[in-house]
Formats: sequence, C-alpha cells, structure tokens
Amino acid sequence: MSAGMEFVLLTFMGLPLLMVLLNNLLKKEIAQKICLSLGIIAGIVQMAAAVFVFASLKAAGQTEADFSQFWDLGVGASRFSVDFFSLLVLFCIGMVITAGFLTAGKTLGDKKFNFTNLAMILLLGMNGIALVTDLFSLYVFLEITGVASFVMISLNKEGDGIEGAFKYLVMSAIATVFILGGLAFLFMQSGSLQYGDVAAALSDWQYAEQPALLIAGFVLVLVGFSIKSGVMPFHGWLPDAYQSAPAAVSVILGGIVTKMAGVYALLRLTADIFVNVPVFNQILMLLAIVSIVLGAVAAITQTDFKRILAYSSISQIGYILLGASCGSAVGLIGAMLHFFNHATFKTTLFVNSAAVEIATGTTEIEKLGGLQEKMPVTGVSSILAFLSTAGIPPLAGFWSKLLIIIAAWQTGNVFIAGLALFASIFTAAYFLRLQRCVFFGPAVEGLEDTKEVTGGVCLSSLALSAITVGFGLLFPALLLFLQGQGLI
Amino acid sequence: MTTFIIVLCLVVMVGFAISAAMLRSMLKSAVSLAAMSAALAVILYMMGAIWAALFELSVCVGLITVVFISAISLTTPDRRDEAHAADHRRRFAALPFILIALGAAIIAVLVYTGFSLPLPGEEAVAEATFNQVFWQTRQADILGQILMLLAGAFAVVVLFKEGKKI
Repeated sequence: MSAGMEFVLLTFMGLPLLMVLLNNLLKKEIAQKICLSLGIIAGIVQMAAAVFVFASLKAAGQTEADFSQFWDLGVGASRFSVDFFSLLVLFCIGMVITAGFLTAGKTLGDKKFNFTNLAMILLLGMNGIALVTDLFSLYVFLEITGVASFVMISLNKEGDGIEGAFKYLVMSAIATVFILGGLAFLFMQSGSLQYGDVAAALSDWQYAEQPALLIAGFVLVLVGFSIKSGVMPFHGWLPDAYQSAPAAVSVILGGIVTKMAGVYALLRLTADIFVNVPVFNQILMLLAIVSIVLGAVAAITQTDFKRILAYSSISQIGYILLGASCGSAVGLIGAMLHFFNHATFKTTLFVNSAAVEIATGTTEIEKLGGLQEKMPVTGVSSILAFLSTAGIPPLAGFWSKLLIIIAAWQTGNVFIAGLALFASIFTAAYFLRLQRCVFFGPAVEGLEDTKEVTGGVCLSSLALSAITVGFGLLFPALLLFLQGQGLI
Repeated sequence: MTTFIIVLCLVVMVGFAISAAMLRSMLKSAVSLAAMSAALAVILYMMGAIWAALFELSVCVGLITVVFISAISLTTPDRRDEAHAADHRRRFAALPFILIALGAAIIAVLVYTGFSLPLPGEEAVAEATFNQVFWQTRQADILGQILMLLAGAFAVVVLFKEGKKI
C-alpha cells in the first residue's frame, strides 16, 4: 500500500478527531463562528477520501485494504479495513454529515458548538462501524454512535426531545445487550469474533455439538440489530426520535445513523458472516416484507412531516433488508445501492422538512399548504425525492428497487416480490398526500409571506437532488459495468 | 447448577428488557435497564468470559449512571392524570405473570431434559493475559474507549453545564 493511500485511510478516523480538538482548542468566540465549517470540511474530505481510495484500489486491482490506526500488530489483531461497500457507505456518511452541517446554520442557534463536537464523535462512531472487521469492535462503535445520537436528539433540552432521546437510548441499550449476548454464544463456538473466523466456524453449524446454542446466537444478534434498524415490529422508538430531534439532527439521524447502526451491520452479517445460514436470511426476509408493507401503511395515516418520513424510512429499510436476505449477488448489490439511494433522497426530504419548519414554524401538514410557489426549490426537490423513493424511472430509487425485486423473484418468493412491488403504490400514496397538503393548493392563511430558505439548506437540497437525478441517469452505465465484472 | 443460573439470568434479562421498553416512568425504565445489564454481566461471568463481564459492568454502569442523572435532572415530575396511569397499569397488569410463567416453564423444560451448556471451543479459552488482549489484539477498541469517554464528557457538558431548561 502506498504512503499516500495509507495517509488517506487514516483520515477516516483521524480527521474528525482533529476537528473535535480544533473546535475545543480555539477561542470560544472563534469556534462559534467556524465550527460548522469544520464539520462541512470533514464531510467533504471524507467523500473525497472515499472516492480516492476507491480509485486507488481499482487501479491496484485490489478489492480491500487493511490498516491499523495506531501501530501494526500483525496477524489476528482487530484492525480496520475498507472494501468497495464500506467505501460507498463512508461516502454516504460524508454526504449526510455535510448536509446536516449545512442545515445546522439556520436551525441550531447557539447550539452549534456542541452540535459540532457531538456530530464529529457521531461521525467517528459511524466510520468505526464501517471500518471494523470484528464483531466486538462493531459493538463498541455502535455504543459510541448510540450515546452521541442520544445527546444530539436532546440538544435543545425540551421535553419532547428528552423523551424521544430517552426512548432511543433505552431501545438502543436493549438492542446492544441482545447483540452482546448473541456474540457471547457465537464466540463460544468460534473462539474469535473476526468476521472471517466466525464465518468459517459457522460453515457447518448444523453439525455443531449444540446447534441450538448457535440458533440462540443468531436470533439474539438478529433481534438486536433489527431494533437498531427500526424494522417492524421493533420500530417503536424511531418515529418519536426523528420527530423530536432538532432539524439538523433529524437530517443526520434519518439520513444515515439508523442505517449505520442497524442496516449496515445486518448487511455485513448476511454478506460476510451468516453466508451459510439460510434460516437467518429467511427470518430477515420476513421482517423486511412486514416493514415494507406496514411502514408504508402507517405513513399514510401520519399528520406530521417528519413522522411521515420516519415511517417511510421503516418501509425503505425493509427494501434494503429484502435485497440482502435474498442471498444472491443481485440482491446484495441492489441492497447496497438502495442504501446509497435512501441516504440521498431521505436526507433531501429531511432537509426539506427543516426548510419548511424554518419558514413556517411547524411540520404539521394540516397547518401547511400552498408552499410550492413560495418555496420552489424545496417543492421541486421534494417531488424528485419522493418520486425516487416510490421507484419511478429514471430516478435512482427505481433501479435499486428493480434489482431488489428481481432478486426476490429469482429466489422463488414471487409473492414477496409482488408485495414489495405493490407497496410502492402505498409509497406514492403517502408522498402524494404529503406533497398535496404541504406544497400544492392555495396558500394557507398566515403563510402568505413565507419565503424560500436560502443558504446551506437550499444548497444541500439542490446538491442532493442533482445526485438523485444524475445517479439515476447514469445507472444503466453502472449496471453494464457490474455486468462486465461478472457481478450480475 | 451453572446452567440453571445462566438460564435464570437470561429470563431475568428478557423480563427487565421488556419492562424497560414498556414502563412510562423514565427513572423506572433506567433501573430496569441497569438490572438487565447486570444480569448479562452475570451470564458472561458464569460462562467464563470474565473480562467481557467486567467490561459490560463498567460500560453499562457508566452509561446507566448518565441515564439516571439525565432522567432525574431533566424531567419534570410526572403530571399525567391518574386515570391515564391506571389505564396503563391495567393494560400491562398481566405481563409480569406471563413472563414469570414463561420463565418457569423454560427452566422446568431445561431441567427436565437435562440440558447443559457446551464447553467453549478451544480457542475461546486460550490463555491470554489482559495486557495481551487489550494492547495487542483489541487495538480498534482502545480508540473506541477513548471516543466513548469523549462522548460521555460532551454529554455532561450539553446536558448539565448550561443549566436546566425545563
């Protein structure tokens, strides 16, 4: 590995830590002025670093690269590693963090300094989740992400925020106890928690001395990560947490945190560890389809912009897990791409909900209306994002959903594939209702003087919409590339 | 006997997990959470994972302490009307009995069938000192522990330093 590449890899963990130090070492007055810029720089550099490492690995003909944060410890030590999927995820994290900081400028007032500190710790926690190759280290970084999220949700110290944060923390703690218990069972059989070692130990798990113990391990780990993902029926905490968080925190939470803390881990488990455990995939598929359908149905009945987005996230996370549970390359690629797409369009929608909240002071859709003419950028980017969410061609969401449904069809689960397809109608229904109530029709009394929110909020909406459209248009080229590589 | 204690702790752990999720009072919920972590620490200890048990106790005790203080300091007294609280109690009144019955049934089945936990694999009980494990094989976790401390410090600053708002 070249020295340049090694240096860039270190930025994933080193740069956010440096930003925390800078933020706290500078004089308070200066830090208050530039703290958000530090976060934006960290996000943009992370995106650039992910692209650079991807290009370097591709040029060197490698698929992954290992590195140590402090010192090289030789074989067997827990270390960090990047592959193409973790690089995609690191790019997503950088993108959402940048959008969150751009939104924070108009929404956080004097909380920007603390927000920056916590968001950088959150960034480190999420990067750690993406980079580790060991289940116990994954647990440690999950805890960091959970604690940082809890404090960020309650940043304003208002009653709803505290309650939402507390629910999040309690459910998160329950999930980590389940995960830790499951890991203990798995460790008893494998003697290691490195992804590769556990996968090897589970290759013939049916013939283990006590397969019941391993099944208990699978179930505990699956339930733990399902709670973290917010899939139904473990979703109770998610809408409250999203709704009660400050706008900029909702952007980060809804855009990436839930996906990193639960969905990414489940994808890693299905792709790297439980490859030979079909029962794991079958249970995951069941949870996925329940989430897809019930999440979409529940979204239809909501009256708050952010709660609609929260239930929509539950449904869309179901699609990602459905792709992963198919156990095929097509399904896994579909899941990974939907992970990226969901990060993009859901962040756009949360940024737009922040814009609406800033401009009107509310996110209750019954009190809103006719904002399309007043807020054209927010209105149009919302339409693009929801069309992508509903899987309308040629936007990015269409392609990833197509791959997932094809993968489900190929496994012989025609009924589940059909249900997933049918649920897109519900997606269109709740977003059409949202769009009609908030943006279309005559302006509601009292909102006649509403103006578009400019600056960072508008910029992130535009940039994310461009990614949604651009990625959708370029997707056929990506499919041809994947076909050329023999992946689909 | 070891199997019996472990299974009992598992039942207790699940029971406290459910009560932590369902209780309306933050304080009681936090107590349930702490009890759940303690049960897990006992399980880990009984299974021979002494370091893991210690880590679970230390991390969760730290975490739960923050939760305790947060709950006590930041919440106003519960002003929910008595009728609402009574309704809540009625709805979940049967839950503890169901859990106890379920737990007793599981323990009875396990004792009757003579179930015993298997011994851990050879690699799982390999001799290694704490220093070897901590410094030589768990490097990523050292960074994780540092970050956890930082997160805790910022939590205290955000939640307490600027005074109570509600």
